[in-house]
Amino acid sequence: MDDRMVRVIGILIDSFIPLLKAGVMFTVPLTIISFILGLIVAFTVAIIRVTNFKPLNGIVKFYVWIVRGTPLLVQLFIIFYGLPSIGIILSALVSAIIGFTLSVGAYGSEIIRAAILSVPKGQWEAAHALGLSKSQTLLYIILPQAIKVAIPPIANSFISLVKDTSLAAAVTFSDLFQVAQQITARTYEPLWLYMEAAFIYLIFCSVLTMIQSKLEVRFMKSGYSHD
Amino acid sequence: MIRLENVYKSFGSLEVLKNINLTIEKGEVVCIIGPSGSGKSTLLRSLNHLERITSGKLYIDNELVDERANDRDIHKFSPKRVSEICSELGMVFQRFNLFPHMTVLENVMLAPRKVRNLTKKEAEEAALELVAKVGLTDKKDEYPSRLSGGQQQRVAIARALAMEPKIMLFDEPTSALDPELVIEVLDVMKALASEGMTMLVVTHEMGFAREVADRVVFMDKGEIVEIDSPENIFNNPSQNRTREFLSRIL
Repeated sequence: MDDRMVRVIGILIDSFIPLLKAGVMFTVPLTIISFILGLIVAFTVAIIRVTNFKPLNGIVKFYVWIVRGTPLLVQLFIIFYGLPSIGIILSALVSAIIGFTLSVGAYGSEIIRAAILSVPKGQWEAAHALGLSKSQTLLYIILPQAIKVAIPPIANSFISLVKDTSLAAAVTFSDLFQVAQQITARTYEPLWLYMEAAFIYLIFCSVLTMIQSKLEVRFMKSGYSHD
Repeated sequence: MIRLENVYKSFGSLEVLKNINLTIEKGEVVCIIGPSGSGKSTLLRSLNHLERITSGKLYIDNELVDERANDRDIHKFSPKRVSEICSELGMVFQRFNLFPHMTVLENVMLAPRKVRNLTKKEAEEAALELVAKVGLTDKKDEYPSRLSGGQQQRVAIARALAMEPKIMLFDEPTSALDPELVIEVLDVMKALASEGMTMLVVTHEMGFAREVADRVVFMDKGEIVEIDSPENIFNNPSQNRTREFLSRIL
């Protein structure tokens, strides 16, 4: 084994724990917090959209249009580097949480909206005919069926989010990817370091995918199935 | 019990109900027959506001339940009032529309609990009785997807009855069923009729109409062509359009 290889292996071993630590301490919490907040936004937006609640409907449509039509990286730059010029100074963490929450909210709202619309119209009609109110119908009839439809695509967007959080490095957030960049700057081994970072993302996503498919199996087993 | 006065309904430029006037007495069973697209279902669905009429007046039990002109409300009905109107009318759909995520018993219990605020115990007792009445006690904990079409429709009837409606509306209740399953649903409906339930039934089952109906309404192209006893409609219709329709299907 030549000296270069020995050196690279040394760097990889030395950097593994810092990278993993950055992942567990920063990437994972950023992902989870943004996802939970994002889902709350998504859910609210979806309900406003399907009930055509005016005038909020127009506002949330505009929000979804903007967020889906502009790059996430550009949004993060506007929040972190742009807003200070009008006096709004946010930390890297807060900027990242806001950016990712808005993103999950917009894409998630479309998933939830589509899931709600996938419930047959006859379900609304039957509930109406029984005298249930609109909100009771949503709560007891439509949402329980829509959630089942929405879970696989929502889980996918969660896994995407894990990877997208690497963009937070661009606004100085010291996540897994940022740490990889720092070590690279010191060691000049970009190929190996970024491969190692990719490997750790892969581990995170694989674990999450496993959890996801377990969840899906459990959901499909519980109770009913469509005929 | 039900009165429709000068009812019109259009979807865009298509007129589906033209000057409908119809009165149904308490305890009466009225079957509406006619070719598809004749407005039968729309008439039924306008009673509980599933469709809004373009103009005219609707009464249930001598109380105004809808009054409109030019597609606008003359009388505004609050969501709460609409809910009350709906709970006086039990509706059975062609495609059952059971709630697939609830068991048979839960389907029947839901509206009494949430709309009439019965306790779980009260609702369950009533539901068990109704499920027994439609002969499905052994299926009470099954999900709808595990039932045959006929069984699902019987559950749907029990679910509608759970709100103790004054009137039952049936919108082609057997049209989505395999022929061998039609009879079990019709038997439940016959039993209801013999108990004196007021029923308005849109149907293609001429045998049922002939046997159970007090009066038969023949509709064509959005109009009531004739209303008469089943004997007269089926044996000696006064209108040519009725005769032509019956000769096509019988």
